[in-house]
Amino acid sequence: MTTRPTVSGSGLTVRYGGSPALDNVSVRLQEGVTGLLGPNGAGKTTLLRVLATAVPPDRGAFTVLGHDPGTGAGRQEVRRRLGYLPQNPGFHPDFTAFAFVDYVAILKEFADRSARHREVRRVLDAVNLSEVRGKRIKRLSGGMRQRVALAAALLGDPGLLLLDEPTVGLDPEQRMQFREVIAEAGRHRTVLLSTHQTEDVAMLCQRVIVMAQGHVRFEGTPAELTARAAGRVWSSTERDPQARAGWRTGLGTFRNVGDPPQGADLLEPTLEDGYLLALDAQSVEAMSA
Amino acid sequence: MLGRDAKVASSARRAGQRGLRCAGIAALVPPVGRSLPWGVLGAAAGLGPVLGWFTRLTQEGVGTALAVFLLRVAAVGLALGLAFLLDDPARDTTAVVPIRRVVRSGVRLVLVAPLAASSWAAALLLVPERIRPPAGDLTLEAAALVVLALSGAACAVRFSDTPRPGVAVAGTLLTCTLLATLLPTSGALFVQADAASWAVAHQRWAALLTLALLAGAALQSEPVRKHRLRLEDTHRSAARAAHR
Repeated sequence: MTTRPTVSGSGLTVRYGGSPALDNVSVRLQEGVTGLLGPNGAGKTTLLRVLATAVPPDRGAFTVLGHDPGTGAGRQEVRRRLGYLPQNPGFHPDFTAFAFVDYVAILKEFADRSARHREVRRVLDAVNLSEVRGKRIKRLSGGMRQRVALAAALLGDPGLLLLDEPTVGLDPEQRMQFREVIAEAGRHRTVLLSTHQTEDVAMLCQRVIVMAQGHVRFEGTPAELTARAAGRVWSSTERDPQARAGWRTGLGTFRNVGDPPQGADLLEPTLEDGYLLALDAQSVEAMSA
Repeated sequence: MLGRDAKVASSARRAGQRGLRCAGIAALVPPVGRSLPWGVLGAAAGLGPVLGWFTRLTQEGVGTALAVFLLRVAAVGLALGLAFLLDDPARDTTAVVPIRRVVRSGVRLVLVAPLAASSWAAALLLVPERIRPPAGDLTLEAAALVVLALSGAACAVRFSDTPRPGVAVAGTLLTCTLLATLLPTSGALFVQADAASWAVAHQRWAALLTLALLAGAALQSEPVRKHRLRLEDTHRSAARAAHR
């Protein structure tokens, strides 16, 4: 038996000016946390904005939780069922955390006051902000603000949660707290997590998508992405000029990623190595195009 | 913990949907009211009465011409202030909510309409009756300028990602207004009250108001796709493929 995907789309294309931000992308998401990796300008944010119905695609179509956002009614239904944390969430700085999430709850059609307030308290509790709910947002730290935005995204127990680089600018402790919340959220819903942090993907995600230049370069499990680098990571005393990527480690030796020379001292690959190789493949293609 | 109260969430939503039409919009009023840029709106609304009162100091003879000028400055000031009406620092965070943009913008407009109307009325009434220019025609000018400002803000919201388009919209409106004072007589908008072209100029203002209203209304829609006609078939067939 196959589970119906939460998100299913094909041929998604978005152009800004003449250049494609998304180029014929197909995507299929199911319950659990999926990581979306890629360098700046890869199209991650555009893909999230398309799936969040913030930007209509130039071409292609997709469904979210069985609804087609290509129609007015379908888009309304999708918006009722998704949570979206944008890359740079904005706030009304004079609102308290509670008042701001309550405002978003009203915009999400929670009109009944007492039920809405229960829901606001629930999501603030879920992101561990209950104790500062009466504080004005301008007095909260960056990490707390991110959690206010996450609380707003969690309103209504959405079936799909789209998170655009939620851990950027957070200190390690805050990132750990964020990971806990995201992992919990992914237990019974679909989460798409856009990030630059391969650690976040390794720790949280059941699946991973690597994007570059508007294309999907890899889709699979983190283990599969890591396995792509098996036998292609080696150590040397100098940076190997034939390596596609290489850097000096804390031990003073170089870690090289690419096609190793004969007899190289192979190392255990990491998710980051697999990610770099996935990116590098597309760079070679782009250069030869 | 997140899944524990899913029933609470869904029951809250159902209750919300049932009472949405009225209760939802009424519930929006306090937070939207708190989020409006009252400083700039208040300054713009305060300008009109001050300028209206200023006409009381003018000498007989030059009074009407000066009153027309000052009331036009008040109208432009009011429009510049209202260009900030749709500024919303939380725009990204609230970009994909089910309550439509037209409702959100409408609530903002309803909240400031009494302030704008009373400001303009006070400006007009403070002008002594003996030098007061045709109030209806000047109100038409003010309305056109205000609707242009609001339509400009709606255009910025529709086509840009900036959460605070007010400065750009106000700057554009001010530039266009200054350029409009340079129009030749055959197409002039700003004419003196005793000029023969006063009536014709106000037909132009009426046309401008109508166009701005239509544009503003059209800009409230949130398109579900970019090239509806050309891609209709592609979209539908791709959606069917995606379902399969």
